[in-house]
Amino acid sequence: MIAAIENIGRFTLDTSLSLRNTLTFAIQVIIRLLNLRTYNSASRMVFINQFYFTSVQILPLFLFVAVIFGSLVNGMAFQVIKNLGLYDYLGRLLMGFVVTEVAPFVTVLLIALRSSSAINAEIAVMKVNRELNMLDTFNIDPINYLFVPRIINGMLSMVLLSSLFSLVVLAIGLFVSSAVFGTSVDAYNDTVLQAASLLDIVIVLFKCATFGFFITLIPIRLGLSASMELTSIPVVVLGGMVKVFLSIVVIEVLSLIIRFI
Amino acid sequence: MVQKVEFKVGLFIIVATLLIMASIGYVAYKKGFFSKVYTYTLSSNTAENLTEGMPVVFWGFNIGQVSSMELTERGVLIHIKIPERNNRVIRANSKFVLDKPLFGTSRIIVTTDNLNDPPLSPKVFPEITVSNDINELIKKVQPIAEKLDRIGASVATLTANLADPQGEVTRILKNVETVTAHFSKKESLLEMAVGTKESVKSIQDILSNVNGLTVRMDGILKRVDTLAGKSDEEIYGRDGVFPLVRNILRDLLAKLAKIDATLDNINQISVEAVDSTKDLKILRNSLDETVTAIGTLVDQLDRIIPFQDKPGIKLP
Repeated sequence: MIAAIENIGRFTLDTSLSLRNTLTFAIQVIIRLLNLRTYNSASRMVFINQFYFTSVQILPLFLFVAVIFGSLVNGMAFQVIKNLGLYDYLGRLLMGFVVTEVAPFVTVLLIALRSSSAINAEIAVMKVNRELNMLDTFNIDPINYLFVPRIINGMLSMVLLSSLFSLVVLAIGLFVSSAVFGTSVDAYNDTVLQAASLLDIVIVLFKCATFGFFITLIPIRLGLSASMELTSIPVVVLGGMVKVFLSIVVIEVLSLIIRFI
Repeated sequence: MVQKVEFKVGLFIIVATLLIMASIGYVAYKKGFFSKVYTYTLSSNTAENLTEGMPVVFWGFNIGQVSSMELTERGVLIHIKIPERNNRVIRANSKFVLDKPLFGTSRIIVTTDNLNDPPLSPKVFPEITVSNDINELIKKVQPIAEKLDRIGASVATLTANLADPQGEVTRILKNVETVTAHFSKKESLLEMAVGTKESVKSIQDILSNVNGLTVRMDGILKRVDTLAGKSDEEIYGRDGVFPLVRNILRDLLAKLAKIDATLDNINQISVEAVDSTKDLKILRNSLDETVTAIGTLVDQLDRIIPFQDKPGIKLP
């Protein structure tokens, strides 16, 4: 009984400590993000490379997924809407569900699966190989040189890719709507625009940036927590990915609460 | 290699950013974000069912929304914002109705009879009238409920009467029972009506006499019919009075026509005679003038020959 209570207490303390460390680290990074001296040619090169690997390389796969997913979602949803006679809700479905919820979620999953795990493993390996100590030795700030470019890359990639996903789904929605309902381009535009809200779009973009921030920050912080043994690398990658998914769920819930307050 | 990566990254960022900015700009433009917005103020006695962001609807289209509300000494002032493209429907004669549907959210409905009227002045605060579906429904249901209430009261009275041994319904039932008892005792309705069998017999005798009288009256009427037939023959028959009178009248009409022609001739003659008398009058006047002239001549001769005796002139 006492052991069980001790376990609960230990778990709570560990979680709180981890959360505090993450938030502390996040504050440090945000301060650096806002500092212009952080940005130099070296960090710019790191950013370009990271952005290339995160957004540009994935682009064909991402667009393919967007087309397939958009066709499936639009096809199924429009058929249901047609059967129920709820054409008036077409715009709300596209803007309120696909654009504001599905597009960021699919994008963040793709980036997390591909880039977050890579960042997590990369930082852990650098830690094990004492490369971070080497940077310190050369008086190179790892936050400025390694972390800030990756986090900016994560935020920007999320915003751009999520927006592209939304545009692709909306474009496919036009074709599906025309095929299922026989609607014209103007009627489709009016339906979508009527449901669109600038505030919702701003919230979605902010949500995407927040997703991008945390799905790169958490793997970096977990990578830094690796020990000097090679066996710790998969452990921290595993823990980092779990926490990334937890953060995705928490951000999603928080954004929903903010939207519907 | 580095330049190639930089180009790809730069191109992607530029294209994606342009696409996103264009999409957001398009939505903002269509939502009237860049167009001029007109603000009007409405007044109301209460802010109940009014909320910020509530749509303003005209002919089923959202043309604006409630931007803010404030409580003042003159009541609640509601500020609505209308984009420039929809501003033409807000006129001086526009009426604003707060529509509270039975289901769904409330909204302000604008009705404008004449879109050519002058625009609504921002200094004028039109009052919002309230259209409440629930209250309307209650108003419609209220008379029905009152009728049901009255029906219920009537049913209660009836049941009370039925339950009361001294009630009207019980008395009616007792009377019906008495009547049916009488029916069962008497041989006929007539006996029940007059009371005794003797009276019934008297009535039967009277009816028999009436039957005899009826037979005699039939005979008399047949004779009268025969007489009337004969009279018709004498008056309207071939040698009856009516054809004779008709022939006499025809003859008389022919003679009158002849007399009418004769009278026309006489009239003509009299007109001509009148003309003849006019000529005689002229002749007489001429003779009078001649006589007068001869007289004058004699007078002059007398003056010329004074001692001579007056000669006598014989007139024609």
